[in-house]
Amino acid sequence: MTDKQPTYTEAMQRLETIVSTLERGGMGLDETLKLYEEGAKLLRLCKTELTTAEGRLNELQLDDIESELQAEEQ
Amino acid sequence: MTGTGQVTTGPLPIGQFVQLVKQTVTRDPLFKNQALKGEVTQWKQYPSGHTYFSLRDQDGQMRAVIWKGRCAIDPGIKEGSEVVILASLDLYIRRGEIQLNVERIEPVSVLGELEKTKRLLVEQLKKEGEFDRPRQAIPTIPKHIAIITGAGSAALSDMQRLIENRWPGLRRTVIGVLVQGPRATEEIVRGLAVARRLSQPSVAESRGEPPVDLVIVGRGGGSPEDLWAFNLEPVARSIIASPVPVVSAVGHESDVLVSDLVADLRASTPSDAIERVVPVLPELHYFLDECEERLAVAARRQFRDNMQHLRTLHARLRVAPMAGLNRAKSKMLTLSSRMKVSVNQSIGIQTTRLAQFEASLSAIHPQRVLERGYSMTQTTDGVVLSSVEGLKSGQEIILNFADGSADAEIKNTHSNEGEK
Repeated sequence: MTDKQPTYTEAMQRLETIVSTLERGGMGLDETLKLYEEGAKLLRLCKTELTTAEGRLNELQLDDIESELQAEEQ
Repeated sequence: MTGTGQVTTGPLPIGQFVQLVKQTVTRDPLFKNQALKGEVTQWKQYPSGHTYFSLRDQDGQMRAVIWKGRCAIDPGIKEGSEVVILASLDLYIRRGEIQLNVERIEPVSVLGELEKTKRLLVEQLKKEGEFDRPRQAIPTIPKHIAIITGAGSAALSDMQRLIENRWPGLRRTVIGVLVQGPRATEEIVRGLAVARRLSQPSVAESRGEPPVDLVIVGRGGGSPEDLWAFNLEPVARSIIASPVPVVSAVGHESDVLVSDLVADLRASTPSDAIERVVPVLPELHYFLDECEERLAVAARRQFRDNMQHLRTLHARLRVAPMAGLNRAKSKMLTLSSRMKVSVNQSIGIQTTRLAQFEASLSAIHPQRVLERGYSMTQTTDGVVLSSVEGLKSGQEIILNFADGSADAEIKNTHSNEGEK
Protein backbone atom coordinates (compact mmCIF):
# COMPACT_ATOMS: atom_id res chain seq x y z
CA MET A 1 0.00 0.00 0.00
CA THR A 2 1.48 3.30 -1.07
CA ASP A 3 0.85 6.69 0.51
CA LYS A 4 -1.30 7.60 -2.47
CA GLN A 5 -5.02 7.07 -2.01
CA PRO A 6 -5.80 3.73 -3.65
CA THR A 7 -8.42 3.51 -6.39
CA TYR A 8 -11.66 1.69 -5.68
CA THR A 9 -10.38 -1.39 -7.50
CA GLU A 10 -7.08 -1.37 -5.63
CA ALA A 11 -8.91 -0.91 -2.33
CA MET A 12 -11.23 -3.85 -3.07
CA GLN A 13 -8.35 -6.10 -4.06
CA ARG A 14 -6.43 -5.24 -0.89
CA LEU A 15 -9.57 -5.77 1.17
CA GLU A 16 -10.00 -9.24 -0.31
CA THR A 17 -6.41 -10.07 0.55
CA ILE A 18 -6.79 -8.83 4.11
CA VAL A 19 -10.01 -10.74 4.70
CA SER A 20 -8.65 -14.01 3.37
CA THR A 21 -5.40 -13.57 5.31
CA LEU A 22 -7.37 -13.07 8.51
CA GLU A 23 -9.60 -16.00 7.66
CA ARG A 24 -6.58 -18.21 7.20
CA GLY A 25 -5.73 -17.39 10.81
CA GLY A 26 -2.63 -18.16 12.85
CA MET A 27 -1.71 -14.54 13.44
CA GLY A 28 -0.70 -12.74 16.57
CA LEU A 29 -2.77 -10.01 18.18
CA ASP A 30 -0.59 -7.22 16.83
CA GLU A 31 -0.86 -8.43 13.25
CA THR A 32 -4.59 -9.08 13.59
CA LEU A 33 -5.23 -5.61 14.92
CA LYS A 34 -3.13 -3.99 12.22
CA LEU A 35 -4.90 -5.87 9.42
CA TYR A 36 -8.31 -5.24 10.91
CA GLU A 37 -7.66 -1.53 11.13
CA GLU A 38 -6.39 -1.38 7.56
CA GLY A 39 -9.43 -3.33 6.36
CA ALA A 40 -11.83 -1.04 8.21
CA LYS A 41 -10.12 2.00 6.69
CA LEU A 42 -10.41 0.55 3.17
CA LEU A 43 -14.08 -0.20 3.76
CA ARG A 44 -14.74 3.38 4.80
CA LEU A 45 -12.85 4.59 1.72
CA CYS A 46 -14.90 2.38 -0.63
CA LYS A 47 -18.18 3.50 0.92
CA THR A 48 -17.21 7.14 0.59
CA GLU A 49 -16.25 6.51 -3.01
CA LEU A 50 -19.72 5.16 -3.70
CA THR A 51 -21.43 8.23 -2.28
CA THR A 52 -19.23 10.61 -4.28
CA ALA A 53 -20.46 9.02 -7.51
CA GLU A 54 -23.96 10.25 -6.80
CA GLY A 55 -24.94 13.73 -7.81
CA ARG A 56 -26.63 16.02 -10.23
CA LEU A 57 -28.30 14.79 -13.41
CA ASN A 58 -27.82 17.32 -16.17
CA GLU A 59 -29.58 17.02 -19.48
CA LEU A 60 -28.75 19.80 -21.87
CA GLN A 61 -28.84 20.56 -25.55
CA LEU A 62 -25.45 21.01 -27.15
CA ASP A 63 -25.95 24.75 -27.77
CA ASP A 64 -27.11 25.35 -24.20
CA ILE A 65 -24.23 23.60 -22.53
CA GLU A 66 -21.78 25.29 -24.88
CA SER A 67 -23.06 28.74 -23.98
CA GLU A 68 -23.16 27.75 -20.32
CA LEU A 69 -19.50 26.77 -20.47
CA GLN A 70 -18.64 29.91 -22.38
CA ALA A 71 -20.38 32.06 -19.77
CA GLU A 72 -18.48 30.30 -16.99
CA GLU A 73 -15.19 30.95 -18.69
CA GLN A 74 -15.81 34.69 -18.68
CA MET B 1 -16.16 42.47 -41.76
CA THR B 2 -13.64 43.78 -39.24
CA GLY B 3 -9.93 43.59 -38.62
CA THR B 4 -9.03 44.32 -42.20
CA GLY B 5 -6.74 47.12 -41.27
CA GLN B 6 -8.84 49.54 -43.23
CA VAL B 7 -9.14 52.90 -41.52
CA THR B 8 -11.55 54.46 -43.96
CA THR B 9 -15.06 53.24 -44.51
CA GLY B 10 -14.49 53.07 -48.23
CA PRO B 11 -15.03 49.95 -50.28
CA LEU B 12 -12.81 46.93 -49.65
CA PRO B 13 -10.53 45.83 -52.46
CA ILE B 14 -11.93 42.58 -53.86
CA GLY B 15 -8.58 40.79 -53.54
CA GLN B 16 -8.56 41.37 -49.77
CA PHE B 17 -12.14 40.27 -49.53
CA VAL B 18 -11.41 37.03 -51.37
CA GLN B 19 -8.46 36.43 -49.04
CA LEU B 20 -10.78 36.83 -46.06
CA VAL B 21 -13.30 34.43 -47.54
CA LYS B 22 -10.53 31.90 -48.15
CA GLN B 23 -9.36 32.19 -44.55
CA THR B 24 -12.86 31.67 -43.23
CA VAL B 25 -13.60 28.76 -45.53
CA THR B 26 -10.37 26.88 -44.97
CA ARG B 27 -10.40 27.31 -41.20
CA ASP B 28 -13.75 25.60 -40.62
CA PRO B 29 -13.15 21.99 -39.52
CA LEU B 30 -16.46 20.97 -41.02
CA PHE B 31 -15.02 21.66 -44.46
CA LYS B 32 -11.92 19.58 -43.90
CA ASN B 33 -11.67 15.95 -44.91
CA GLN B 34 -15.35 15.76 -45.68
CA ALA B 35 -16.60 12.65 -47.40
CA LEU B 36 -18.77 13.56 -50.36
CA LYS B 37 -20.56 11.61 -52.99
CA GLY B 38 -21.83 12.53 -56.43
CA GLU B 39 -21.48 12.11 -60.15
CA VAL B 40 -18.35 13.07 -62.04
CA THR B 41 -18.75 15.59 -64.83
CA GLN B 42 -16.26 17.61 -66.91
CA TRP B 43 -13.57 15.04 -66.06
CA LYS B 44 -10.27 16.30 -67.47
CA GLN B 45 -6.74 14.99 -66.82
CA TYR B 46 -4.05 17.49 -67.86
CA PRO B 47 -0.52 16.65 -69.01
CA SER B 48 0.72 18.53 -65.94
CA GLY B 49 -0.65 15.62 -63.89
CA HIS B 50 -3.49 17.59 -62.24
CA THR B 51 -7.06 16.35 -62.74
CA TYR B 52 -10.07 18.66 -62.79
CA PHE B 53 -13.72 17.74 -62.63
CA SER B 54 -17.06 18.69 -61.10
CA LEU B 55 -18.99 16.65 -58.59
CA ARG B 56 -22.72 16.96 -58.93
CA ASP B 57 -26.07 15.49 -58.08
CA GLN B 58 -29.62 16.65 -58.75
CA ASP B 59 -29.38 19.37 -56.06
CA GLY B 60 -26.05 21.00 -56.72
CA GLN B 61 -22.45 20.79 -57.88
CA MET B 62 -18.92 22.02 -57.16
CA ARG B 63 -15.56 22.17 -58.91
CA ALA B 64 -12.90 19.77 -57.69
CA VAL B 65 -9.21 19.25 -58.29
CA ILE B 66 -6.90 16.30 -57.70
CA TRP B 67 -3.36 17.67 -57.52
CA LYS B 68 -0.66 15.63 -59.21
CA GLY B 69 0.31 12.55 -57.22
CA ARG B 70 -2.09 13.39 -54.36
CA CYS B 71 -3.87 10.04 -54.58
CA ALA B 72 -4.30 6.99 -56.75
CA ILE B 73 -7.06 7.39 -59.35
CA ASP B 74 -9.04 4.36 -60.34
CA PRO B 75 -8.67 4.09 -64.15
CA GLY B 76 -12.35 3.20 -64.35
CA ILE B 77 -13.43 6.70 -63.34
CA LYS B 78 -14.84 8.65 -66.29
CA GLU B 79 -17.57 11.11 -67.18
CA GLY B 80 -20.75 10.08 -65.36
CA SER B 81 -19.08 7.81 -62.75
CA GLU B 82 -20.56 7.75 -59.26
CA VAL B 83 -17.71 8.44 -56.83
CA VAL B 84 -17.01 9.11 -53.20
CA ILE B 85 -14.30 11.64 -52.42
CA LEU B 86 -12.54 12.83 -49.28
CA ALA B 87 -11.96 16.52 -49.84
CA SER B 88 -11.34 19.85 -48.16
CA LEU B 89 -12.82 23.11 -49.24
CA ASP B 90 -10.46 25.63 -50.83
CA LEU B 91 -10.80 28.92 -52.65
CA TYR B 92 -8.94 29.69 -55.83
CA ILE B 93 -8.15 33.34 -55.20
CA ARG B 94 -7.38 34.36 -58.78
CA ARG B 95 -10.83 33.42 -59.93
CA GLY B 96 -12.67 33.68 -56.61
CA GLU B 97 -13.96 30.19 -57.15
CA ILE B 98 -14.62 27.71 -54.40
CA GLN B 99 -13.25 24.27 -55.17
CA LEU B 100 -12.67 20.94 -53.49
CA ASN B 101 -9.12 19.75 -52.95
CA VAL B 102 -9.46 15.99 -53.30
CA GLU B 103 -7.44 13.74 -50.97
CA ARG B 104 -8.99 10.47 -52.11
CA ILE B 105 -11.33 9.36 -54.81
CA GLU B 106 -13.05 6.00 -55.17
CA PRO B 107 -15.65 4.87 -57.63
CA VAL B 108 -18.85 3.69 -55.96
CA SER B 109 -19.14 -0.05 -56.11
CA VAL B 110 -22.14 -2.21 -55.44
CA LEU B 111 -21.10 -2.34 -51.81
CA GLY B 112 -22.09 1.27 -51.46
CA GLU B 113 -20.26 4.50 -51.00
CA LEU B 114 -20.26 4.30 -47.22
CA GLU B 115 -18.08 1.24 -47.31
CA LYS B 116 -15.67 3.05 -49.60
CA THR B 117 -15.13 6.09 -47.41
CA LYS B 118 -14.99 3.97 -44.37
CA ARG B 119 -12.38 1.71 -45.89
CA LEU B 120 -10.28 4.71 -46.80
CA LEU B 121 -10.44 6.05 -43.29
CA VAL B 122 -9.78 2.70 -41.69
CA GLU B 123 -6.73 2.24 -43.91
CA GLN B 124 -5.42 5.62 -42.97
CA LEU B 125 -6.01 5.21 -39.25
CA LYS B 126 -4.40 1.80 -39.34
CA LYS B 127 -1.37 3.27 -41.09
CA GLU B 128 -1.13 5.91 -38.37
CA GLY B 129 -1.23 3.18 -35.72
CA GLU B 130 -4.42 4.50 -34.11
CA PHE B 131 -5.91 1.02 -33.72
CA ASP B 132 -2.87 -0.24 -31.85
CA ARG B 133 -2.65 2.65 -29.42
CA PRO B 134 -3.12 1.72 -25.75
CA ARG B 135 -6.71 2.16 -24.60
CA GLN B 136 -7.72 4.06 -21.48
CA ALA B 137 -9.13 1.97 -18.65
CA ILE B 138 -12.82 2.37 -17.83
CA PRO B 139 -13.14 3.57 -14.21
CA THR B 140 -14.66 1.01 -11.83
CA ILE B 141 -16.76 3.71 -10.22
CA PRO B 142 -17.49 6.45 -12.75
CA LYS B 143 -17.92 9.71 -10.85
CA HIS B 144 -19.32 11.69 -13.74
CA ILE B 145 -20.46 10.23 -17.06
CA ALA B 146 -21.01 12.38 -20.13
CA ILE B 147 -23.54 10.89 -22.52
CA ILE B 148 -23.52 12.26 -26.04
CA THR B 149 -26.59 11.15 -27.95
CA GLY B 150 -29.83 12.28 -29.53
CA ALA B 151 -31.89 14.44 -27.17
CA GLY B 152 -35.22 12.77 -26.45
CA SER B 153 -34.19 9.63 -28.32
CA ALA B 154 -35.31 6.15 -27.41
CA ALA B 155 -31.67 5.23 -26.93
CA LEU B 156 -31.30 7.96 -24.31
CA SER B 157 -34.40 6.95 -22.36
CA ASP B 158 -33.21 3.32 -22.45
CA MET B 159 -29.87 4.39 -21.01
CA GLN B 160 -31.46 6.62 -18.37
CA ARG B 161 -33.80 3.86 -17.25
CA LEU B 162 -30.98 1.32 -17.08
CA ILE B 163 -28.75 3.65 -15.08
CA GLU B 164 -31.53 4.33 -12.59
CA ASN B 165 -32.08 0.60 -12.22
CA ARG B 166 -28.43 -0.08 -11.60
CA TRP B 167 -27.31 2.99 -9.71
CA PRO B 168 -30.03 5.49 -8.86
CA GLY B 169 -28.73 9.03 -8.84
CA LEU B 170 -25.42 8.29 -10.52
CA ARG B 171 -23.97 11.62 -11.64
CA ARG B 172 -24.24 12.21 -15.37
CA THR B 173 -24.46 14.94 -17.95
CA VAL B 174 -26.39 14.29 -21.13
CA ILE B 175 -25.29 16.37 -24.10
CA GLY B 176 -28.08 16.28 -26.64
CA VAL B 177 -26.80 16.31 -30.22
CA LEU B 178 -28.06 15.46 -33.70
CA VAL B 179 -26.93 11.91 -34.46
CA GLN B 180 -27.96 11.77 -38.11
CA GLY B 181 -28.25 14.05 -41.09
CA PRO B 182 -25.73 16.52 -42.47
CA ARG B 183 -25.05 18.24 -39.14
CA ALA B 184 -24.55 15.08 -37.13
CA THR B 185 -20.78 14.84 -37.56
CA GLU B 186 -20.21 18.41 -36.50
CA GLU B 187 -22.53 18.13 -33.49
CA ILE B 188 -21.01 14.89 -32.26
CA VAL B 189 -17.55 16.47 -32.54
CA ARG B 190 -18.74 19.50 -30.60
CA GLY B 191 -20.38 17.23 -28.03
CA LEU B 192 -17.07 15.44 -27.51
CA ALA B 193 -15.38 18.84 -27.16
CA VAL B 194 -17.86 19.77 -24.42
CA ALA B 195 -17.20 16.48 -22.63
CA ARG B 196 -13.50 17.19 -22.88
CA ARG B 197 -13.96 20.58 -21.24
CA LEU B 198 -16.09 19.05 -18.50
CA SER B 199 -13.25 16.62 -17.86
CA GLN B 200 -10.87 19.45 -17.01
CA PRO B 201 -10.53 19.76 -13.23
CA SER B 202 -10.64 23.57 -13.32
CA VAL B 203 -13.90 23.63 -15.30
CA ALA B 204 -15.41 20.90 -13.13
CA GLU B 205 -14.44 22.75 -9.98
CA SER B 206 -16.07 25.97 -11.07
CA ARG B 207 -19.22 23.97 -11.85
CA GLY B 208 -19.07 22.33 -8.44
CA GLU B 209 -18.98 18.75 -9.67
CA PRO B 210 -16.32 16.10 -10.25
CA PRO B 211 -14.67 16.13 -13.67
CA VAL B 212 -16.16 13.92 -16.36
CA ASP B 213 -14.25 10.63 -16.20
CA LEU B 214 -16.12 8.61 -18.80
CA VAL B 215 -17.82 9.47 -22.11
CA ILE B 216 -20.48 7.44 -23.85
CA VAL B 217 -21.17 8.48 -27.41
CA GLY B 218 -23.80 6.70 -29.41
CA ARG B 219 -27.29 6.27 -30.73
CA GLY B 220 -29.82 3.54 -31.42
CA GLY B 221 -29.74 1.37 -34.50
CA GLY B 222 -30.56 2.58 -37.99
CA SER B 223 -29.68 2.25 -41.63
CA PRO B 224 -25.98 2.52 -42.60
CA GLU B 225 -26.67 6.05 -43.85
CA ASP B 226 -28.17 7.00 -40.49
CA LEU B 227 -25.05 5.83 -38.72
CA TRP B 228 -22.72 7.45 -41.21
CA ALA B 229 -21.39 10.10 -38.87
CA PHE B 230 -19.80 7.41 -36.70
CA ASN B 231 -17.74 6.29 -39.67
CA LEU B 232 -16.27 9.70 -40.37
CA GLU B 233 -12.88 11.02 -39.62
CA PRO B 234 -13.79 14.06 -37.46
CA VAL B 235 -15.69 11.84 -35.02
CA ALA B 236 -12.94 9.23 -35.04
CA ARG B 237 -10.27 11.89 -34.41
CA SER B 238 -12.25 13.44 -31.57
CA ILE B 239 -12.64 10.05 -29.91
CA ILE B 240 -8.92 9.37 -30.28
CA ALA B 241 -8.06 12.77 -28.80
CA SER B 242 -10.32 12.38 -25.76
CA PRO B 243 -8.43 12.74 -22.47
CA VAL B 244 -10.94 10.42 -20.74
CA PRO B 245 -12.11 6.99 -21.91
CA VAL B 246 -14.80 6.94 -24.60
CA VAL B 247 -17.34 4.18 -25.10
CA SER B 248 -18.70 3.82 -28.62
CA ALA B 249 -22.33 2.81 -28.22
CA VAL B 250 -24.05 2.69 -31.60
CA GLY B 251 -26.86 0.22 -32.08
CA HIS B 252 -25.98 -2.03 -34.96
CA GLU B 253 -25.91 -5.70 -35.56
CA SER B 254 -23.10 -6.90 -37.74
CA ASP B 255 -20.90 -4.18 -39.09
CA VAL B 256 -18.17 -2.50 -37.12
CA LEU B 257 -18.09 1.28 -37.24
CA VAL B 258 -14.93 3.36 -37.22
CA SER B 259 -15.97 4.83 -33.86
CA ASP B 260 -15.98 1.27 -32.50
CA LEU B 261 -12.47 0.70 -33.77
CA VAL B 262 -10.98 3.77 -32.15
CA ALA B 263 -12.99 3.93 -28.92
CA ASP B 264 -11.62 2.74 -25.57
CA LEU B 265 -14.57 0.38 -25.25
CA ARG B 266 -16.96 -0.88 -27.88
CA ALA B 267 -20.54 -1.58 -26.88
CA SER B 268 -23.03 -3.15 -29.26
CA THR B 269 -25.89 -0.85 -28.20
CA PRO B 270 -26.39 2.11 -25.87
CA SER B 271 -27.95 -0.24 -23.30
CA ASP B 272 -24.99 -2.57 -23.59
CA ALA B 273 -22.72 0.40 -22.87
CA ILE B 274 -24.56 1.12 -19.62
CA GLU B 275 -24.44 -2.51 -18.58
CA ARG B 276 -20.72 -2.57 -19.16
CA VAL B 277 -19.74 0.64 -17.41
CA VAL B 278 -22.33 1.30 -14.70
CA PRO B 279 -21.96 -1.04 -11.73
CA VAL B 280 -25.03 -2.30 -9.88
CA LEU B 281 -24.95 -0.32 -6.65
CA PRO B 282 -26.68 -2.93 -4.43
CA GLU B 283 -24.10 -5.47 -5.58
CA LEU B 284 -21.28 -3.15 -4.55
CA HIS B 285 -22.94 -2.61 -1.19
CA TYR B 286 -23.47 -6.31 -0.85
CA PHE B 287 -19.80 -6.94 -1.55
CA LEU B 288 -18.69 -4.31 0.94
CA ASP B 289 -21.11 -5.52 3.62
CA GLU B 290 -19.90 -9.06 3.07
CA CYS B 291 -16.30 -7.91 3.37
CA GLU B 292 -17.13 -6.02 6.54
CA GLU B 293 -18.80 -9.08 8.02
CA ARG B 294 -15.99 -11.42 7.00
CA LEU B 295 -13.42 -8.98 8.32
CA ALA B 296 -15.18 -8.71 11.69
CA VAL B 297 -15.73 -12.47 12.01
CA ALA B 298 -12.17 -13.32 11.02
CA ALA B 299 -10.69 -10.71 13.35
CA ARG B 300 -12.93 -11.81 16.21
CA ARG B 301 -11.90 -15.42 15.67
CA GLN B 302 -8.27 -14.37 15.67
CA PHE B 303 -8.80 -12.54 18.97
CA ARG B 304 -10.66 -15.49 20.41
CA ASP B 305 -7.95 -17.92 19.37
CA ASN B 306 -5.36 -15.65 20.87
CA MET B 307 -7.37 -15.28 24.08
CA GLN B 308 -7.91 -19.03 24.29
CA HIS B 309 -4.21 -19.57 23.92
CA LEU B 310 -3.55 -17.01 26.63
CA ARG B 311 -6.08 -18.63 28.92
CA THR B 312 -4.52 -22.04 28.45
CA LEU B 313 -1.11 -20.59 29.15
CA HIS B 314 -2.45 -18.81 32.21
CA ALA B 315 -4.01 -21.98 33.59
CA ARG B 316 -0.84 -23.94 33.01
CA LEU B 317 1.14 -21.18 34.64
CA ARG B 318 -1.07 -21.31 37.73
CA VAL B 319 -0.77 -25.06 38.10
CA ALA B 320 2.89 -25.35 37.25
CA PRO B 321 4.51 -23.96 40.46
CA MET B 322 2.14 -25.98 42.67
CA ALA B 323 3.08 -29.16 40.92
CA GLY B 324 6.72 -28.28 41.34
CA LEU B 325 6.26 -27.38 44.95
CA ASN B 326 4.47 -30.60 45.73
CA ARG B 327 7.16 -32.56 44.00
CA ALA B 328 9.81 -30.66 45.93
CA LYS B 329 7.93 -31.09 49.18
CA SER B 330 7.62 -34.86 48.93
CA LYS B 331 11.21 -35.10 47.82
CA MET B 332 12.22 -33.09 50.83
CA LEU B 333 10.20 -35.28 53.13
CA THR B 334 11.85 -38.39 51.76
CA LEU B 335 15.23 -36.77 52.05
CA SER B 336 14.66 -35.59 55.57
CA SER B 337 13.48 -38.97 56.78
CA ARG B 338 16.42 -40.60 55.05
CA MET B 339 18.67 -38.04 56.65
CA LYS B 340 17.18 -38.65 60.08
CA VAL B 341 17.79 -42.35 59.77
CA SER B 342 21.30 -41.92 58.53
CA VAL B 343 22.14 -39.30 61.15
CA ASN B 344 20.82 -41.52 63.91
CA GLN B 345 22.82 -44.42 62.62
CA SER B 346 25.90 -42.33 62.37
CA ILE B 347 25.43 -40.96 65.92
CA GLY B 348 25.10 -44.49 67.31
CA ILE B 349 28.28 -45.61 65.62
CA GLN B 350 30.16 -42.59 66.80
CA THR B 351 28.98 -43.09 70.43
CA THR B 352 30.16 -46.69 70.52
CA ARG B 353 33.47 -45.77 68.97
CA LEU B 354 33.85 -42.97 71.48
CA ALA B 355 33.30 -45.34 74.46
CA GLN B 356 35.82 -47.80 73.08
CA PHE B 357 38.28 -45.03 72.53
CA GLU B 358 37.72 -43.79 76.10
CA ALA B 359 38.31 -47.27 77.50
CA SER B 360 41.55 -47.80 75.62
CA LEU B 361 42.59 -44.30 76.44
CA SER B 362 42.16 -44.82 80.19
CA ALA B 363 44.08 -48.09 80.01
CA ILE B 364 47.22 -46.35 78.88
CA HIS B 365 47.00 -43.31 81.15
CA PRO B 366 50.47 -42.75 82.92
CA GLN B 367 48.70 -42.65 86.34
CA ARG B 368 47.66 -46.27 85.85
CA VAL B 369 51.29 -47.20 85.06
CA LEU B 370 52.61 -45.36 88.10
CA GLU B 371 49.99 -47.14 90.23
CA ARG B 372 51.55 -50.39 89.08
CA GLY B 373 54.94 -49.38 90.64
CA TYR B 374 56.65 -47.58 87.80
CA SER B 375 58.03 -44.05 88.23
CA MET B 376 58.50 -41.24 85.71
CA THR B 377 61.69 -39.17 85.65
CA GLN B 378 61.65 -35.56 84.61
CA THR B 379 64.22 -32.80 84.33
CA THR B 380 63.62 -29.77 86.51
CA ASP B 381 62.26 -28.17 83.31
CA GLY B 382 59.52 -30.81 83.13
CA VAL B 383 61.01 -32.82 80.22
CA VAL B 384 60.22 -36.53 80.59
CA LEU B 385 63.42 -38.56 80.54
CA SER B 386 63.38 -41.85 78.69
CA SER B 387 67.13 -42.32 78.24
CA VAL B 388 70.25 -42.18 80.36
CA GLU B 389 71.99 -40.43 77.53
CA GLY B 390 72.83 -36.80 78.29
CA LEU B 391 72.51 -37.12 82.05
CA LYS B 392 75.39 -35.79 84.04
CA SER B 393 76.50 -36.52 87.63
CA GLY B 394 75.25 -33.90 90.05
CA GLN B 395 72.22 -33.00 87.74
CA GLU B 396 69.00 -32.51 89.66
CA ILE B 397 65.97 -34.53 88.53
CA ILE B 398 62.39 -35.08 89.68
CA LEU B 399 61.01 -38.56 90.26
CA ASN B 400 57.23 -38.87 89.86
CA PHE B 401 55.28 -41.61 91.68
CA ALA B 402 51.60 -42.41 91.74
CA ASP B 403 51.03 -40.60 95.00
CA GLY B 404 53.70 -37.85 94.81
CA SER B 405 57.19 -36.82 93.64
CA ALA B 406 60.74 -36.58 94.98
CA ASP B 407 63.72 -34.36 94.09
CA ALA B 408 66.96 -36.34 93.45
CA GLU B 409 70.53 -35.89 92.24
CA ILE B 410 72.38 -38.04 89.68
CA LYS B 411 75.53 -39.73 91.16
CA ASN B 412 76.66 -41.88 88.22
CA THR B 413 75.24 -42.98 84.91
CA HIS B 414 75.47 -46.45 83.36
CA SER B 415 74.20 -47.24 79.91
CA ASN B 416 72.98 -50.80 79.24
CA GLU B 417 75.49 -51.18 76.41
CA GLY B 418 78.32 -50.14 78.71
CA GLU B 419 77.46 -52.99 81.09
CA LYS B 420 77.63 -55.60 78.36
